Amino acid sequence: MFERGLEEKTFWLNLGPQHPSTHGVLRVLLEMDGEYIVTAEPVIGYGHRGHEHMAENRNYQQFLPNMGRVDYLHALAFNQGYCMAVEKLMGIKVPERAEYIRVITAEMNRLTSHFLWVGAYLMDLGAFTPFLYCFDDREHLLDLLDRITGSRLTYCFYRFGGVPVDLDEEFIAGTRAFIKRLRSRWPDYDNLVTKNIIFIKRTKDVGVITKEQCVQYGLTGPMVRGSGIAYDIRKSEPYSAYPEFDFEIPIGDNGDVYDRYIVRIREMEQSLRIMEQALNKLPEGPIMAEKVPKRLKPAAGEVYQAVETARGEFGCYIVSQGDIKPYRIKLRVPSFANLSILPEASVDNLVADVVAILGSIDVVVPEVDR
Amino acid sequence: MLSEKIQKALAPLNLEKVAAGDYSKTGYHLEAAAQPGQMPAVAQALLDTGCFLESLTAVDSSRESFTLVYHFANFYELCRTVVHAPLAKPAAAPTISHIYAGADWYEREVYDLYGIRFAGHPNLKRLLLPEDADFHPLLKDFGATQENV
Repeated sequence: MFERGLEEKTFWLNLGPQHPSTHGVLRVLLEMDGEYIVTAEPVIGYGHRGHEHMAENRNYQQFLPNMGRVDYLHALAFNQGYCMAVEKLMGIKVPERAEYIRVITAEMNRLTSHFLWVGAYLMDLGAFTPFLYCFDDREHLLDLLDRITGSRLTYCFYRFGGVPVDLDEEFIAGTRAFIKRLRSRWPDYDNLVTKNIIFIKRTKDVGVITKEQCVQYGLTGPMVRGSGIAYDIRKSEPYSAYPEFDFEIPIGDNGDVYDRYIVRIREMEQSLRIMEQALNKLPEGPIMAEKVPKRLKPAAGEVYQAVETARGEFGCYIVSQGDIKPYRIKLRVPSFANLSILPEASVDNLVADVVAILGSIDVVVPEVDR
Repeated sequence: MLSEKIQKALAPLNLEKVAAGDYSKTGYHLEAAAQPGQMPAVAQALLDTGCFLESLTAVDSSRESFTLVYHFANFYELCRTVVHAPLAKPAAAPTISHIYAGADWYEREVYDLYGIRFAGHPNLKRLLLPEDADFHPLLKDFGATQENV
């Protein structure tokens, strides 16, 4: 039954659209020979809401809340990408303090996203306990973010020209305490997961992605960094206040599922470093640019702005024809390109490994579907 | 410098335009304009310089034509190249999915949302919309506007 070639014909197996390991409504149509994959075809679009069409039918401000709903796990990076694109189009300069607040909150949001991924991913692999650890830590961050942004998940916090709310003392103290707490927790995660022999056996040498495949598919984020390419928009194409901080880009060398896990864990340590430095150097001053027009009417032209989200590069491409509504907005989302490699990466693997590979891509299905 | 290398690689193709872009305003280091028929050669030239396909999309520019927009970037050196390819309606453009595997889904998405066909694409069917959909929602004359919703 498990071996190849026992039956004359292959058979079809649906993974999803309602399956706990697909993290949303993603369906993968698998052609199976025994328990091995012959072909795999992701079927997407179940969560297509037409964000790009909505963009053409409302003005620039009205489209801002949509950004929290494309990638709901790292909503602030999408906020930032869209705001920066419009700011570039309008020539608005964001004050330094606002840039720092953006960096701090975006990094916190990156941590919440990675925490959810680590917890959910290990649950896919059969480990239940790490999920509880992750959600415990994540909850602290959500409380802190809730305090200044007013929401826990679908943030809409940045504005064109800055941020609407300044950080207060309690937030700063709470964030510092969290950084300290999380650093003392790393040994627990190490012992529980990273050195766990079952985890290592499930992930080492599974779903190897080569550098050539990264170029072929236009992968970004932890997917390429796991394969040994140090491509991170925060360093490669520095934006906001990132050039002012000292941090590293962790990379793997083998390109397997294990490396992508390690890259994300080490990236979380770097996020803590960035947050700490930003809090230490937090400049005084205004948090909103002066004279941002209420009615945004950028001149005709186009702009492409890339930012690094938890999953990779989010590119916001805006075409303006000098109207109060954008003429076209294309959201280049990281999970879309990252998921497109799944058919190639899963062929000849066992069905249980496909779950490990799919999870390691860290897809957010509403982001793929838009 | 990568942008010079790309310009050199694109020179034999006789494109309509290859020029340095205003990075601080548009985010492009290099702007090019090509005919859709030249795109496979352009994509091959960019692949040879080590660039990856960042995004592929279309704009419904006017009643008469679309514009296909290709963005390329590089993992090791900062250089974003945009290629605009005007496409008269109704028409098909050649696929670049045999050059960049990632273009497969991007082209399916453009077909899905705009109805633009890519000649030579191995599997050109709906991607985001249901397979029995009979409309292309990002066309400017598609009905759902603010007025009648």
